[in-house]
Amino acid sequence: MLDQLIMSGIAFGRTTIGLVVRPYETYRKVVGKGGAWELVYVAALAIVYFSLASLVKVAAFRPFLLSKHAVVLAVAALVTYMLVVCVVWLVGKQFGGKGTMKGIAVGWGYTMLPTVCWFFMTSLLYILLPPPRTASIAGTGFSVLFLVVSTTLFFWKLTLGYLTLRFGLKLDLWRILAVVGVVGPVMGVWSWGMYRLGIFRVPFL
Amino acid sequence: MKDVTYKKFLTRWEQVVDLPPQTLGPFTPVYKSFIRRLKVMPWPYFVLSAAACVLILYFLIGSTITLLVTLLQRGF
Repeated sequence: MLDQLIMSGIAFGRTTIGLVVRPYETYRKVVGKGGAWELVYVAALAIVYFSLASLVKVAAFRPFLLSKHAVVLAVAALVTYMLVVCVVWLVGKQFGGKGTMKGIAVGWGYTMLPTVCWFFMTSLLYILLPPPRTASIAGTGFSVLFLVVSTTLFFWKLTLGYLTLRFGLKLDLWRILAVVGVVGPVMGVWSWGMYRLGIFRVPFL
Repeated sequence: MKDVTYKKFLTRWEQVVDLPPQTLGPFTPVYKSFIRRLKVMPWPYFVLSAAACVLILYFLIGSTITLLVTLLQRGF
């Protein structure tokens, strides 16, 4: 098991670099040959983030509250991830998708990297430069920079999501858009529910 | 040596035929050109597109973007 974890760690590192430099080629390999063990590292990064977010949100070191908040966030993120994978799989099959569920699970797991990066960045900036932003030159400049970085990460996420459907379900663009058209509203309702419950204000997808 | 080349060719061939070809009618060349840029080191395109989107947003809503960023910063 330890060997498997180490091997997966190396594979995760290589894949992460690949997703930055050559996303298309890397996704082809990941969806076909990627192991579920690699997702342990994505989950570990997310758990580190949830702990940090709890520390920032609770704003006091009370272990029980911190752990409860972190567990709620982690469970909500896990359920969201499983829901996305299942819905994409079911809808994709209806549109003639041919891939495997494991391929989609691994592919969608790696799309969590831009999400975790954005949430990490936002929570660190919350500590360093807490909101609200003002309309001064410095405030506007920071806002523009923040939005540029956020949009860049969003484009990365979109690309990885597209590649998950392209390689995971072997669909063409029109079918990918159709799947997104069905899955999008479902996840919109889910995200609204998460918002109403006060778990995630910005969807952790 | 011949076997290695053949195996490489076979793997590449399987990769190519594994996916349905993407055609968008008259827009196929545009799509291909766009996707080609995303295949290797897409970050310059991501950053430039993001900067363009944010500038357009800034011209549309002005300093209200600070309010949007405030909401996003509290959104984690």
